Amino acid sequence: MSSKINGHVSPQPCPHLLVFRSRNGPKPFRALQDCIRVKPPGGRAAIRREPSEVPRCGTCEESSRSRLYACVACAAVFCHAPLLHSHASDHALSIPGHEIGVDVDRAELFCCACGDQVYDRDFDAAVVLAQTVNATATTSTSGSTAMQCSVAGSQPENLRKRRRVDYRPWEPGSGEHISRGNQSIPLLDATNASLVSSTQQPWGLRGLNNLGNTCFMNSILQALLHTPPLRNYFLGDRHNRYYCQQKNGVINGTKNSRLCLACDMDALFSAVFSGDRTPYSPAKFLYSWWQHAANLASYEQQDAHEFFISMLEGIHEKVEKDKRKSQSPGDYLSYCCKVVELASALRFRTAGLMMSTALLLGDCCIAHRVFSGILRSDVMCMVCGFTSTTYDPCVDISLDLEPNQGSSGKSSSAKSLNSFNVEADCMRPNQNCGISTLKGCLEQFTRAEKLGSDQKLFCQKCQVRQESLKQMSIRKLPLVSCFHVKRFEHSSIRKMSRKVDRYLQFPFSLDMAPYLSSSILRSRFGNRIFPFDGDEQDASNDLSTEFELFAVVTHSGRLDAGHYVTYLRLSNQWYKCDDAWITQVNESIVRAAQGYMMFYVQKVLYYKESENQGTS
Amino acid sequence: KHSVNRPPTPDGAEDQGNEPALQEIINIKLIESGEKERLMELLRERLIECGWKDEMKALCRSYVKKKGRNNVTVDDLVHLITPKGRASVPDSVKAELLQRIRSFLMSAAL
Repeated sequence: MSSKINGHVSPQPCPHLLVFRSRNGPKPFRALQDCIRVKPPGGRAAIRREPSEVPRCGTCEESSRSRLYACVACAAVFCHAPLLHSHASDHALSIPGHEIGVDVDRAELFCCACGDQVYDRDFDAAVVLAQTVNATATTSTSGSTAMQCSVAGSQPENLRKRRRVDYRPWEPGSGEHISRGNQSIPLLDATNASLVSSTQQPWGLRGLNNLGNTCFMNSILQALLHTPPLRNYFLGDRHNRYYCQQKNGVINGTKNSRLCLACDMDALFSAVFSGDRTPYSPAKFLYSWWQHAANLASYEQQDAHEFFISMLEGIHEKVEKDKRKSQSPGDYLSYCCKVVELASALRFRTAGLMMSTALLLGDCCIAHRVFSGILRSDVMCMVCGFTSTTYDPCVDISLDLEPNQGSSGKSSSAKSLNSFNVEADCMRPNQNCGISTLKGCLEQFTRAEKLGSDQKLFCQKCQVRQESLKQMSIRKLPLVSCFHVKRFEHSSIRKMSRKVDRYLQFPFSLDMAPYLSSSILRSRFGNRIFPFDGDEQDASNDLSTEFELFAVVTHSGRLDAGHYVTYLRLSNQWYKCDDAWITQVNESIVRAAQGYMMFYVQKVLYYKESENQGTS
Repeated sequence: KHSVNRPPTPDGAEDQGNEPALQEIINIKLIESGEKERLMELLRERLIECGWKDEMKALCRSYVKKKGRNNVTVDDLVHLITPKGRASVPDSVKAELLQRIRSFLMSAAL
């Protein structure tokens, strides 16, 4: 009875709806559209012949019924309470062709004969259109780009311009066959068995020495060393440090190797995956990073998350500069043209658009290709309903950790316990126990939030600051999702810092679908056929949104005296990486740990056609 | 002392007497003044806050899982959750709504 269009279930019409459509033309609900009344803000849609109409049942004259339906054929209104009395059903059954009605308070189509909701694409589109109030011109704030928000019926260019291709495993070419024969040695062989650890630990596990409060760096490095796309990139020689330094030496005319964090990463990967199990000292890396982030160069304990961000920035900067320098003027020009083309399709109107678009595409460097996603922020004016939408790239998601964030309402436990039998009705045990969960945090993150009266935002329509409703959602998922739990609070007002030790439960497998912009917008408009912009273009919209946990960075101790430890998941075994010491641990240890940053990788990878045929 | 625990409002139009007529009048007054809409929004907010909406959703989901998505109608779900839903509205929410209606009636009568 339902079919999948664009990955979302599109219900098949009931026989009565089919008959109705065949009798009344392709847009049978066109007349209804004029009766859609939306009350701002955020508008509930209702159906009224006149704005001040008080609908009442034509048979029993009651207006206080909870469900009233207007017959689409004759506009008569009837009540519907199937088990007691339904004047709507009576009407439907008595006159053929009068089975379809519309809920006057919800603007939802209903078949009074089948007793079920039915859907019409055009009608739903009209309702959604009536409910959204959009800008025609938007300006951006620094660091973010504003785009025209068209919620329904628009056809903007898909963010992904290249088409998807099926995965084909790599086959060595003739050149590779030859070099394989001449210059390589098998990885695992009787002759080099000494390289393989007797404890049979997986490849690439190597302790990192603490160089003086550097566990913040070691913990992040361990996670990155085992981030699958990143690992594959460096082990696949996509950034060859010798070649990179050689190139830079030539361009600069100096012999000194310029700062390149990617080269240092390459060196790190080589060292860690060499097979040598003795703990490694990432001194060169630390030194390079100090040069990049001079303000953090000290032997004091740093924040692992800050290190993570600054590292990604460091890789990006250098690679961006190189790319621009190494491109011939012709190349750079065609790159710019592509960017402008895409930007106009996405209706950018801001300065700094080159940088922003590249970031949005995630095509600038490996760091962003792996970690960069796009967040969507909708801010709705509580007075007029006008919604402004902005898109921002992000490399991770920082989540607040407040008490009682199980997957339900805020203060659920106390009130609902009065009314429910706890054992029988408690569908989600976490709710009443008040355990914070990662899912709960994500739900909180994507929940519509009323901004306080001290945080009034400027409304373009009203031209004054108004109270607003803000909602975040994820427009594009990154390959690797990094969740950062805000455990460290620094308040300059109160001149104090504190650490939130509260336990956070996190799953090993995570489906990000409910937090996507398409899902969030869908739920905002209720029970409708809802084509999200970009849906139509992308044929393969049943893209997997499933992620698997592969690394957890934990913090133990106090704010000023604490220790970072990373847990890695390799071949479904968990390993604790505590600076130089690596031990295999049971998954229950990991579950009980105090998660600070959790790394999830997309379960299924999708491939795009390469622009460069035959080159890397 | 007025109790908030009244017997459930009968749905049926069977007992036509003075009560439904009064209910009608009040309803129309509430709608015309816009108060009904404000009360609805308030009620929605409260029922979400206390987890009532999530509970009903969960009930519906488990029912749909059991019966199969294509074998469930809106009427089925309404029938399923109505008794439980009415019974499980927290007393504090009932009290608040009733208080609001009372004050409205008193101000409307003036």
